[in-house]
Amino acid sequence: MMYEYWLASIYGVSAAKKRLLRERLKTAEAVYNIEEKELCSLGFLKEKEIQVILEAGKREVKGAYERMAEQGIAFVPYFSAEYPKKLKDIPGPPYALYVKGKLPEESVPCVAIVGARRCTPYGEEMALRYGERLSRAGVQVISGMARGIDGAGQRGALNGGGKTFGVLGCGVDICYPRENFGLYMDMMKEGGAISEQLPGAKPLPGYFPARNRIISGLSDAVLVMEAKERSGSLITADMALEQGRDVYALPGSATSPLSTGCHRLIQQGAGILISPEDLLDEMNIRVKGDLQIISKNEKMLETTENLVYSCLGFIPKGVDGLIKETGLSAREVLEQLVTLELQGVAKEISKNNYIRIL
Amino acid sequence: MSFSTIMSAAIEGLHVEPVHVETDISSGLPVFHMVGYLSSEVKEASERVRTAVHNSGIQIPAKKIIINLAPATVRKRGASFDLPIALSLLSALGELEAKKLKRTLVIGELSLDGRIREVKGVLPMVMEAKRMGCVRCLLPKGNAPEGALAEGIEIIGTESLRQAVDYLKGEADILPEEGGVWERYDTPLPGMVDFSDIQGQESVKRAVEVAVCGGHNLLLIGPPGSGKSMIARRIPTILPPPSHDESLEITKIYSVLGLVDKDRPLMSGRPFRSVHHTVTKAALIGGGLIPAPGEISLAHGGVLFLDELTEFRKSVLEVLRQPLEERKIHINRAHGNYVFPSNFILAAAMNPCPCGNYPDFSKCNCTPWQIRQYLDRISQPFLDRIDICVEAPKLQYEEIRESVPKETSAVIRRRVEAVRSIQQKRYEGQDILNNAMLGVRQIDEFCRLGKEEEFLMKQAFTSLNLTARTYHKILKVARTIADMDGGGQIRLPHLKEAIGYRTVDKKYWGR
Repeated sequence: MMYEYWLASIYGVSAAKKRLLRERLKTAEAVYNIEEKELCSLGFLKEKEIQVILEAGKREVKGAYERMAEQGIAFVPYFSAEYPKKLKDIPGPPYALYVKGKLPEESVPCVAIVGARRCTPYGEEMALRYGERLSRAGVQVISGMARGIDGAGQRGALNGGGKTFGVLGCGVDICYPRENFGLYMDMMKEGGAISEQLPGAKPLPGYFPARNRIISGLSDAVLVMEAKERSGSLITADMALEQGRDVYALPGSATSPLSTGCHRLIQQGAGILISPEDLLDEMNIRVKGDLQIISKNEKMLETTENLVYSCLGFIPKGVDGLIKETGLSAREVLEQLVTLELQGVAKEISKNNYIRIL
Repeated sequence: MSFSTIMSAAIEGLHVEPVHVETDISSGLPVFHMVGYLSSEVKEASERVRTAVHNSGIQIPAKKIIINLAPATVRKRGASFDLPIALSLLSALGELEAKKLKRTLVIGELSLDGRIREVKGVLPMVMEAKRMGCVRCLLPKGNAPEGALAEGIEIIGTESLRQAVDYLKGEADILPEEGGVWERYDTPLPGMVDFSDIQGQESVKRAVEVAVCGGHNLLLIGPPGSGKSMIARRIPTILPPPSHDESLEITKIYSVLGLVDKDRPLMSGRPFRSVHHTVTKAALIGGGLIPAPGEISLAHGGVLFLDELTEFRKSVLEVLRQPLEERKIHINRAHGNYVFPSNFILAAAMNPCPCGNYPDFSKCNCTPWQIRQYLDRISQPFLDRIDICVEAPKLQYEEIRESVPKETSAVIRRRVEAVRSIQQKRYEGQDILNNAMLGVRQIDEFCRLGKEEEFLMKQAFTSLNLTARTYHKILKVARTIADMDGGGQIRLPHLKEAIGYRTVDKKYWGR
């Protein structure tokens, strides 16, 4: 295994060539012990790559390998039984995965929830909701643990009591972004963090597009909650299509720039997200028993509360706007808003600006 | 007669120190010598006095003249000793009747031609003189109306040294300045602002009224151009007018800094001090070698407005913590401690994010990180001292065009006065005046909750992630809102409205 780790840790040789080498020579140990002459005779390696391999041969990896094991990080190379089968199918699978926690279970459906980092309250709320309902139905939620949609989707999954997995663009021992540290820790309890980067690798911008292929690769379906016209989430969607995964997009307001990307995907043939139940239906996942949550807007709200509630939406509204719409006084509106907030059907996202939560 | 003594006064901070100006004339080598721990501007008085006396047509004999300003331990500063020195000298020379100078406070600066110029700090000095039992004050003419504010002491305004001498000799008569006419100016000053000028912003107006009723500090959050400073500027207009004693106290502070209006010396309205964000610590809380009151003392009894709160240097905001808590500021120097009053309502304004448009996502491009950094410029302890936080939204076109008559400040002020009197009655015998000053133990006593209310607060505490501080602030504000409803028990609607005004914990703000 240590030789596999050695091979995986070489920078400068592509995963595909590493795999080829490993297949030709049968074991990673053989690759480690190979002579220069033999390497040259293989024919598919460039001069520079040969040099890289020979240089790497001199390096000590035992220490690093043991340290990794001590940190509780599992090393899953391509040629091992634990390697996710779904990933083997995708073009350009990573040579090895580093896993802190667990890998997703193969037999359980996986859904990726991705989207903009800088999202609207609507997108965030929806990601939370989809994450929660899907995980209640037993689906594993996969995402990139980024700010905004990614984090919200995973947080939702945790709220639903299910498993969630974060595919990171840095080493699995690093929590990036730092504000998601709570999520990172919670995720580790049931699910896990996955990366193709060596432990300790810094979150470099170059790593992130590449990790998107793992997110979609591990999933059966990719849900894009919010994306601008040009967005990293659309890269994930493209890769998902390339890998033969289903892509679903969440429709939004026609005026919201953060929904344009989603609308474009729908135009190009992506599935449309109507409700989590609808999605589960389409994925042939049967919802067990009472998982259906009673929609909160069926709750009995008193008339004035209802009046204020009906004016709220996913675009934040201020108290003054609501005064005008409802004809109530400032104190009444504020009073009702706090009532709604305490009931958990409205949320203050900036001072005196409220959105509705379904 | 070759010796004389005259009463004058020196100002240290806001404190008045009586000073006796003594002159002794004896034979010997002709000198003009001044002693008594004098600063250089007082030492220069010797030249001014001799020239002014000469130009008033009086010859100073070539004798040994010693002038002492007692007590020698008090540092004498400023030019207000010119006139007492001159009169003391003339009295020692036998030019005037000494008995007319008995129990008389003299202050004034001399011009070389013998005219008397105005000085700073007249009101506190006159009030101190009255307290010490003086019967008369000889002041520069321009300062006479200010001095007359302290009723019960004769104020003589003089224009020149000659006139003062004639008066003291009994050769001319000067009518004492009339006091008591300054009690209240009912005619509003030109440029007076009024709440009826404000269009829309109903929620902000309500929050401001709550703040003023209970004396709570207020934070306005809103995009640029939403009228935050316009509203803040109108807060003094709905505060109950200061009592006569309060007015005098405020005027004293302005007097020390030489900021009183010559014709309308009494500060009959509540001050509004808008401080620019480049302000230094010393200018804000008071400072200088001999500390002079700063902006927070000038706002005493009124409103201190900090616009663009996030742009203030953090260290400057932190010095506000003590005065906000204690309602006075202690300034310590090696040579002594100074205490200035600073009981004001703090009104602060800021944008919700660096660009100012959050949460309008069509305009705001700030990342959550940027917003966090922006809000982090205000420390939590500072936010903890603000009870009410409200959004000032951007005005819509219809609101600008609207011409519905709005409530005037006078109408709102009457309501405020009623609520304040409820509080005064309740806190009689306590060391507090309004709900904002309630301490934790007093909150338990005066903000008792019923069962339902208790349940609501419990629910809010957990679901809204309140801290103990926020919890107490909500109760204080709820107390005020209940007082606005007549002063009974705190009920659910009061609590809910108060919860709506809480300062959001930054941790949960901006995601």
